[in-house]
Amino acid sequence: MPFTEKNTIDRSNPNFSGLRIILIFIISLGMMYLDFQGNYINKLRSYLSLTVLPLQIAANTPKKLINNFKNRLSDRETILTENQQLKKENIQLRSKVQQTYKLESENKRLFELLKAKPDDEEKFIFADIISINQDNNKHQIIINKGSIDGIQLGAAIADSSGIIGHIFRDQLLASEVLLITDPEHGIPIEIARNGFRAIAIGTGSYDEIILNDLPNNSDIQINDVLITSGLGGRYPEGYPVAIVSDIEMIQGEPYLKIEARPIANLKNINEVLVIQNNKKDHQNE
Amino acid sequence: MSNQLSKFFFVWLILIFSSILSIIPLSENLSFLKIPWVALSLLFFTIMTPSIIGLFSAFLIGLILDILQGGILGESSLALSFMTYVAYRFRLQIRVFPIWQMMFAVLILLLINEMMHLWIDGIIGKIVISQSKIISVLLGSLIWPLFMGLLESLQSKINSR
Repeated sequence: MPFTEKNTIDRSNPNFSGLRIILIFIISLGMMYLDFQGNYINKLRSYLSLTVLPLQIAANTPKKLINNFKNRLSDRETILTENQQLKKENIQLRSKVQQTYKLESENKRLFELLKAKPDDEEKFIFADIISINQDNNKHQIIINKGSIDGIQLGAAIADSSGIIGHIFRDQLLASEVLLITDPEHGIPIEIARNGFRAIAIGTGSYDEIILNDLPNNSDIQINDVLITSGLGGRYPEGYPVAIVSDIEMIQGEPYLKIEARPIANLKNINEVLVIQNNKKDHQNE
Repeated sequence: MSNQLSKFFFVWLILIFSSILSIIPLSENLSFLKIPWVALSLLFFTIMTPSIIGLFSAFLIGLILDILQGGILGESSLALSFMTYVAYRFRLQIRVFPIWQMMFAVLILLLINEMMHLWIDGIIGKIVISQSKIISVLLGSLIWPLFMGLLESLQSKINSR
């Protein structure tokens, strides 16, 4: 097969000319510059992503099929016991919700007494995962709700137990989420016990984020819960993020090296909640 | 003419399929299995049938790959088209190499691709050299004979029709 037709003879194939490689170099360098510097071509990107969405869905079907298959195979007994467990959990959660009603109304009354404005109410949108990027240095997922469903750039994403990340690129039918463990991600947090504020930075490993801006004499203990502080305006206040797992004091260094384990299970995310602040204005660059 | 068209479709079918293969979610232990399929199929077409593929195809599939993988726009397209260009320059030699030498040439070409990625990542400032990446490139050159045989048989079927 290899030596057929003109394949071997055409030494000056215009498709491979030196001019073209130079042109491609210029175009791609320009695109990289624009994309890296100021998100100038986000529009282009969001339309292009629309065209590759089928590919992403196709790539994730095998995993979904396997999961489906597993579900089919699991026998009646396990499903029944699981159902009972879920029912029990549901009842417990409902009773907790009743308490929160009471707390919420009380909170509102107290705010009125203080003549202060309570926090804005948040809107929740449920979403499913389309695809997961499991590169070592890129912790991103894609969810199946986009700007058509009213999702805004920068909205926080949580699962049932804690914060997962935030939306950093919104497309029409889907949006890309940067996880809190991505090396480029920082989330403003505070220690729930005493309100110390810090910034937690991702490490590139799914079960670790680090804090390196707390001074040596700060009051922090292992198993302290870190919650979002609401500073910076991106994440809503008071959602659980991580639990402190290791504190290391290095001689001669002014800051502690603190490791924390995210509360949400980032390795296998199934359904997520998009938390949107209603009052947030639309002026996102 | 229709023959040309069917060849064109074949190329893009393979390229799209390999780009899907390269984003299939794998667990962390299996991440070395992320063989650069797109680069391999581009190499095959450039070396074996350069008349039905060009640098702009490499550019386009690189762009698609960038969006699929959520990287910076233009990174893979630059790396892939440069690799394709080098492969085209040396295609006549590579084509007559014995198989082990061919695998070595493929390894070097894949390393060129990976090198470009590393450079760009380094300039952006998020360089992460992982063992699994190197292993996946090695695996990619190891399965080259199998891959080439498979694509050749597919292509001859299309040509004979």
